[in-house]
Amino acid sequence: MTDAVLRCQGLTRHFPSGTALDGLTIDARPGEVVALLGPNGAGKTTTMRLLNGVLEPDAGTASVLGLDPWRQGDELRARTGVLTENAGLDERLTARENLAFVARLRGIPEARATPRIMELLDRFGMAHRADVRVQGFSTGQRKRVALARALLHEPELLFLDEPTSGLDPVATRDVVDLIGSLAQEQGRTVILCTHFLGEAGRLADRMAVLFSGHLHAFGTPTQLAGELWTGTEVRVELGRPPGADLLSRLGSIPGVVQAVPLEDGVLARVTTRESVPALVAACVAAGEQVFAAEPRQPSLEDVYFEIEARAKRGAAA
Amino acid sequence: MNRSVIRTLLARDLGMIRRSRALMLPMLFLPTLLLVILPAAIGLAARERSLDVDRFIEMLPGGLADPVLAHPPDERLIILVLGYMVAPLFLIVPLMVSSVLAADTFAGEKERKTLETLLHLPVSDRDLYVAKLLSTFIPSTAISWLGFTVFCIVSNIVCWPVMGRIFLPTGTWMIVILWLAPAVAALGLGVMVRVSIRVENTQEAQQLGGAVVLPFVVIAVGQTTGLLLAGPVVTMAVGSVVWLIAALLNIRGMQLYRRSSMAARL
Repeated sequence: MTDAVLRCQGLTRHFPSGTALDGLTIDARPGEVVALLGPNGAGKTTTMRLLNGVLEPDAGTASVLGLDPWRQGDELRARTGVLTENAGLDERLTARENLAFVARLRGIPEARATPRIMELLDRFGMAHRADVRVQGFSTGQRKRVALARALLHEPELLFLDEPTSGLDPVATRDVVDLIGSLAQEQGRTVILCTHFLGEAGRLADRMAVLFSGHLHAFGTPTQLAGELWTGTEVRVELGRPPGADLLSRLGSIPGVVQAVPLEDGVLARVTTRESVPALVAACVAAGEQVFAAEPRQPSLEDVYFEIEARAKRGAAA
Repeated sequence: MNRSVIRTLLARDLGMIRRSRALMLPMLFLPTLLLVILPAAIGLAARERSLDVDRFIEMLPGGLADPVLAHPPDERLIILVLGYMVAPLFLIVPLMVSSVLAADTFAGEKERKTLETLLHLPVSDRDLYVAKLLSTFIPSTAISWLGFTVFCIVSNIVCWPVMGRIFLPTGTWMIVILWLAPAVAALGLGVMVRVSIRVENTQEAQQLGGAVVLPFVVIAVGQTTGLLLAGPVVTMAVGSVVWLIAALLNIRGMQLYRRSSMAARL
């Protein structure tokens, strides 16, 4: 793939405490949001630091914005923006001073930086606190200021590390909306490290699922579901649990892979949706009342927990 | 080296030092005590003509006693204490100030959780390291020079009734202050910045750094009076040796400093 903004292969990093990342291979296309999903200690932050040239790998290669992160680190970091997990603002400075400091380090002329800082603080609802020291800010306010700081120089690639951790639901929604607009409206590529599935589900085009430094899956949620399961789930609502006879008859219909009883009906897995009429007909023939038959796509949660379960089974084996 | 980046980092760090009571108080307490209160007290004591210090001076080694005894009796206390014995304290000031500030350089950034942000910026390893060195060296030297100026003014004013002339600074004093004191500050930060990189917080850096810097303090206290007696050439030579050691320590520190090793400790 030649148009990748970011591509890494076999990225590995060990620490004295253990292996943080083992052979990671992923890529990101322009304007795409790629979520690095996994529990704490999965290797998400290490990946971000490696890809931005802050950490050096023990093995592997990477190209980010066409640059080698470890040989051309400063050149790369001039074109990327980062939101670290703890926001990393200097508490002794005001919001405006924090942004102005970074603007000067990034070489943005003051005449351009001053209006840009106010524009961003205004956009993130922090203009009224521009001259207040960060010390008294809530976690949500800090994240907003840090996000504004990450966007000061209009980066082509954004690394966002747990952007909503520690936020209340309203602040979470606001930050997720902001990130969504960055990718959709402004075409920025975003690498999103998170362990919140809802956030990843709303924002990510593709996701890389990491456990203990190993990549267990990489793709769109639909692709990953397709790799995990064959066919579609259909929930048939009968208003009562099915009998054993009905389950057996449903299981013998061509195209039905599995039929599982529910409290109010049946959950069947079919290879194609063409099997659904036969499924409904079999229920009606058995004297059941069919209130609904609903094909159901696996959710991100289904996909993630199935990958996690398989990862655990693999580790145990 | 990107001077604009270094200036920006330096301006922030110096501004923060000015705003931080935790840094300013220990930095100003010792210089005030040593460089203002002590000369004032000695000057006032020397006005008391009944005070006889000759017996004490005669007990000193000849190398120190002879130049003091060459002065009129009522000037001897002032010459002994302010002219010679206070000198070691002038090397403790830059050493202590640079140690306090250098402990805060990288460890302070880690403590405030601002280091990772800095590492993710397009600031080269060398620029960051140089900025941190300068943000320690400049205030240490400035406080030493300012303190010495105040010391000279206070000493000359308070001792005027006894001395009847401006007796400080002498030529050797000037070499100690302008040449040796900055070298000692550079030596202190050469050690302390490296300590600050390795530890988690400022307190740990100060504790560990204190143990490293203490031997230098002892050497400074023990040798400086001797330097003033030995004269300007020896003082210049000793200053050059200290500069050389400080330069080697700082250059080596800069060569060893790597963003990746720093990030691995986060």
